[in-house]
Amino acid sequence: MKFAIAIFSAAHAPSSRRALLFAQAALAGGHEIVRLFFYQDGVFNASSSVVTPQDEQDLPKQWCSFVSEHQLDGVVCIAAALRRGVLNEEEAKRYQREAIAVGAPWELSGLGQLHDAVQDADRLICFGGA
Amino acid sequence: MAKSLLIISRQSPWSGPGAREALDIVLAGGAFDLPIGLLFLDDGVFQLAAQQNAKALQQKDLSANLQALPMFGVEELFVCSDSVAERGLAPEALSLEEAQALAADEITALIDRYDQVITL
Amino acid sequence: MSTLHVLSHSPFGDDRLSSCLRVIGANDALLLSGDAAYALQPGTAPFSALNDRSLALYVLAEDAQARAIEIPDWAKAIEYPAFVELSIHHDKVNSWL
Repeated sequence: MKFAIAIFSAAHAPSSRRALLFAQAALAGGHEIVRLFFYQDGVFNASSSVVTPQDEQDLPKQWCSFVSEHQLDGVVCIAAALRRGVLNEEEAKRYQREAIAVGAPWELSGLGQLHDAVQDADRLICFGGA
Repeated sequence: MAKSLLIISRQSPWSGPGAREALDIVLAGGAFDLPIGLLFLDDGVFQLAAQQNAKALQQKDLSANLQALPMFGVEELFVCSDSVAERGLAPEALSLEEAQALAADEITALIDRYDQVITL
Repeated sequence: MSTLHVLSHSPFGDDRLSSCLRVIGANDALLLSGDAAYALQPGTAPFSALNDRSLALYVLAEDAQARAIEIPDWAKAIEYPAFVELSIHHDKVNSWL
């Protein structure tokens, strides 16, 4: 079964943790994840600027290793990311900003990538809010 | 055949970028010629209230984008009649004439009809 | 066709649960996650509303445990692998974000 997973909440929201656990369970169950798409506050999950207190779960780091380890397609919505100051090197240069918060394995791209994933997948599952 | 996607928009236009970002998903789908539906539910129906004034909050007006939906190929537009009634809006005064009013059981059938759904 | 509805907001002071119950279909299922698990707090309006409906009702086990929510016999506690299976069993997943 092919899943598209979309994340709409920041890394500190419980729903982002559920998204990661769902994604891990999906792969463990022998299923495929065609794409992880981060929209709205979900873009913060891809930010390397998040500093998590030592005794708390570091979700951005866990997402990063999960995506790298399984060579998944992790796409961050570019418009949502710009609005929230989560820029990669190219966008930081384009808008003359100093802070670069997104690098590999993440890709900044448009909403078309969400639709594309919906077309490819058997199921779309969204996580967000509380 | 392309999979159809229903967006259920539940946020008021003034509660942050949520309503606009829900609409952006719809417009992007329309731009790719995908079968997209949009249902206004709960506070989302406030997006259709007449004579709103975005300038009062120094914001951009969402209603112009909503009016443009049919031009972007998004013609499947729906509004929950219970949500409209509960919020004291007059159904005939909603700003999007194309939106079809649906009762609860018709919304159940609508969700059934689409391949996938996003509720924002 | 059937839908798995997923809630994650507390039912107290939020209308997602009531809206969901209004449109949920006979073949659909409902999964309570996060603070939505508080809907199973006995003696409350959300508890009665759920009890009155013969829904296929699930709750994420970790969320019930964390909140010290006892699970009534008309709901089923599930872990993530079962969540994945539920999302496959139904034709689509409607998360009330």
